[in-house]
Amino acid sequence: MNALPPLTRKLLRDLWRLRGQALAIALVMAAGVGMAVMSYGMMRSLDAARSAYYEGYNLAQVWVPLRRAPDSLARELAEVPGVAGVETRLSGAATLDLPGIAEPVLARLHSLPVRLNRAVLRSGRMPRAEHPNEVIVSEAFAKAARLAPGDRLPALVYGKRIELVLVGTAISPEHVYAVAPGQIFPDNRRFGIIWMAREPLAAALDMRDGFNEVLLRLAPGASEQDVIRRADRISAAFGPAGAYGRDLDISNRFLTSEIDQLRTMVRILPPIFLLVSAFLLNILLARLIDTEREVIGLLKAFGYRSAPIAWHYAQLALLLSLGGVALGWALGLWLGRGVTGIYLDYFAFPALTFSAGADIYLGSAAMALAAALAGAVSAVWRAQRLTPAEAMRPPAPARYSSGPLSSRLVRLLPDEPSRMILRGFFRRPLRTIASVLGLAMALALYVASASSTDNVERLIQLVFERGQRADLALSFTEPRDGRVRRELALLPGVQRAEPYRAIAAELIHGPHREREAVLGLPRGSALMRIVALDGTTIEPPPGGALISSQLARKLDIAAGDRLEVQVTEGQRQRFSLPITAVVDVPLGASLVIERGALNRLLREGDVATGAYLMTDPQQAPALFARLKQTPLVASVSVAANAVRGIRETIAESMGIVTLFNTLFAMLIVVGVTYTGARISLSERARDLASMRVLGFRKGEAGFVLVGEQALLALAALPLGLVLGMALSRYIASSFSSDMFMIPAAVSARTLAEGVLVVAVAAAATAVLVRRSADRLDLVRALKTRE
Amino acid sequence: MSERPAIYRTAGLTKSYGTGPTAVHALRGVDLTVHAGELLVLLGPSGSGKSTLLNILGGLDSATSGQAWFEDTEITALDADGLTEYRRRSIGFVFQFYNLIAALTARENVQLITDIAEDPMAPEAALALVGLEGRMDHFPAQLSGGEQQRVAIARAIAKRPQVLLCDEPTGALDSETGIRVLTALETVNREVGTTVMIITHNAVIADMADEVVHFADGAIASHTSNPRRRPPGELSW
Repeated sequence: MNALPPLTRKLLRDLWRLRGQALAIALVMAAGVGMAVMSYGMMRSLDAARSAYYEGYNLAQVWVPLRRAPDSLARELAEVPGVAGVETRLSGAATLDLPGIAEPVLARLHSLPVRLNRAVLRSGRMPRAEHPNEVIVSEAFAKAARLAPGDRLPALVYGKRIELVLVGTAISPEHVYAVAPGQIFPDNRRFGIIWMAREPLAAALDMRDGFNEVLLRLAPGASEQDVIRRADRISAAFGPAGAYGRDLDISNRFLTSEIDQLRTMVRILPPIFLLVSAFLLNILLARLIDTEREVIGLLKAFGYRSAPIAWHYAQLALLLSLGGVALGWALGLWLGRGVTGIYLDYFAFPALTFSAGADIYLGSAAMALAAALAGAVSAVWRAQRLTPAEAMRPPAPARYSSGPLSSRLVRLLPDEPSRMILRGFFRRPLRTIASVLGLAMALALYVASASSTDNVERLIQLVFERGQRADLALSFTEPRDGRVRRELALLPGVQRAEPYRAIAAELIHGPHREREAVLGLPRGSALMRIVALDGTTIEPPPGGALISSQLARKLDIAAGDRLEVQVTEGQRQRFSLPITAVVDVPLGASLVIERGALNRLLREGDVATGAYLMTDPQQAPALFARLKQTPLVASVSVAANAVRGIRETIAESMGIVTLFNTLFAMLIVVGVTYTGARISLSERARDLASMRVLGFRKGEAGFVLVGEQALLALAALPLGLVLGMALSRYIASSFSSDMFMIPAAVSARTLAEGVLVVAVAAAATAVLVRRSADRLDLVRALKTRE
Repeated sequence: MSERPAIYRTAGLTKSYGTGPTAVHALRGVDLTVHAGELLVLLGPSGSGKSTLLNILGGLDSATSGQAWFEDTEITALDADGLTEYRRRSIGFVFQFYNLIAALTARENVQLITDIAEDPMAPEAALALVGLEGRMDHFPAQLSGGEQQRVAIARAIAKRPQVLLCDEPTGALDSETGIRVLTALETVNREVGTTVMIITHNAVIADMADEVVHFADGAIASHTSNPRRRPPGELSW
């Protein structure tokens, strides 16, 4: 210690003396750095894992779904410029009847891959050619449905009953995020992927001399759009003309949207923490320099130049932020590893390790140091500008004046301690505003984070309680006559059945083309209603179509315009229809017309491709047992399961995120309140000691300190609630994608909890500092000047 | 004078800091009686123990051994809360550095005390007694040192304390301002009957007292009575 220059020794002692405040500020800074390291690192890790997975296991770049095509088509596609690899396969859907699961379980069948979309074996072994019934299934499905090698899976494929034997589990780059068609959250118990040998699958699908899907790899630099266009033209005779790239692959879309969400979070959260820490550092340094005026004057009088003095105080800021950065790095790494574990529950990667590069660590440190210096600069500037004479003069009593607003308010107060609090509040308006903003941001952070659950509950309410009121949605293996309704009504427990018609189509408006399903709903449907984000129910108008605002934006179409529809299945009809309304649809159908009108446009008579059912829950087991035996039904989705899936997914992932954001919000509150109260204690120590000497009790003197922080917190509450609701709305809209729109619906409960979190954290901190006030040395406070 | 009742009595009062050979003995057995209504001046060099005595009598500090009574209350036996109540009810303080609350005006600084006192004067009356009726709505930063000290006196007397304890009340003031402050203290003693104890370095001030106690090395070196009090206006230094 003695070898150190005296100013360095002073620096270390100052830091030790101010350790409580330094720690509070460093922790707030660490939260910002940690969030940045975690988010950027996670974005990069997900991206890297995805690329490695896609490349290592040869994920296709273009999918060409077909009805049935001969081998010659594969050869033609291979000759398309830009195509580097072609693989044909068979794909289909199956319903499984698994013991212990009442509902029919839906599975996606693929023929075993050869070169493209290869599966990674996770347990067991690959099916053997001599055993045609052997299959491997997706690992998450096997886990959730409690399947193990050797289990037998009775399946209904294309109307045929076959028994499959499970021999292994696997994951695949094509199904990193596996959701059943039409769902957005995984339900691994009721949906899985099954790979089986090509021959038996072809037999089950009646496709012995062909295939129904082609996967393409592109040459480096090839235009995906060109390839898709040519592939569609070449395969026009064999299928729905619906080649698409990775951007429309559902698994990849979810992965991309997750990375985008991380990007949104990293734009909002770290800056809040760094701003707050810069402000706290500013008031800490400003106060330190105020109390050390005489020291600064003395040093200058003895010949110290201004620069080393400025550097002395700047070093304090730097040392403190280096501590914050180191803590932040550790926090980021820890959070990153934890979040990786959560991601592995949703995304099936062969390996996902959290790794943020040196540039992320250094970049986050640079950000934190820049914030610290920004916070320090004005205080340090004042220190270096002080002239020795000015610095050595005793400071005048703190200047208070009676501004018109503050004096009017002050006069309303009943006692002097309250007046002290209110005058302090108005005396340093910038500090007061910054403290209030800091606390408000903490509250906003809590509200925005906790409201994600509210938003999802609102989504569930809109989509399932007000919109899709059916208990079950069935889709048929092939279009059926509308009279199927009577057959359905005879099934056990079915109270009401409403057939619908869905077709795959290409929607055309001017130069814009989008592939989407067109949904025809019965007039006056009670089981499936279109509910807008604002809660209004909209009936498909006779002779026109409702379009979701997301799809309308992509097609650049407005109400009153006409939309061209090119059907891409069956007889490939083409027609046009007027758009009568553009609706903010939270989730589900994008283009809806009345079923009768759709059938007339298709000139196919009364046809349905599925039905919505209202059922008696008592008879569900009997109904499910019947449905499992019915070749008519391709899939069954149970509203209650979908809702449970959404709630579980959100509860699990958001629960942890909300817990952390609650802690982080409290950290900001503690940082702002602790620093503010310590500074206030330092500024008011003499006042408080004087009050104690004059006969005020500990509680009465401490009231000034605690009351001041309470007033700041109180002022921050309304602002924080408003900011929180705005932030919630922003996050909801930026998390909304073309697959779903999240309503912003902050509940009163969330707001109340936020207020409670801020109030408890502020009160606990203020009371902690009050205990230091209780221990003030009365005699010394009287002898010192300030 | 001796027919007045004693307001303070001490017996063998000592105060030491630390233990063993490095111990500092601030008070080495002080026996002193102060009578109600007296104006007493404590003289002595720095470190002679006079402030320590005043702090113990004022309930700000505790004694190491010995006893001190305020009327019938043994203040050396009171706990921290008891001392707070004792200060709150009975004692007024005036300090060298005034110790006004910067966030409160002159009137409000006085009101701060009258709000918690049982039978206080009106703040305006207390300020008038020290000649500050015209500066009541000024903040400390807008007052001179002498004016700030007179606000401090007004604040101390407004709750009608039995004792006014003043530690170097003129220490930070020039002589003319100092005399104005002493005049205010003398007025309070004469007109309200408050017992006043003043600590000072300045021997001239002893002439305005009834009793003069000299301190040296933690003990009373001499205790004399003035036959006649000189009005502060006649003093000069």
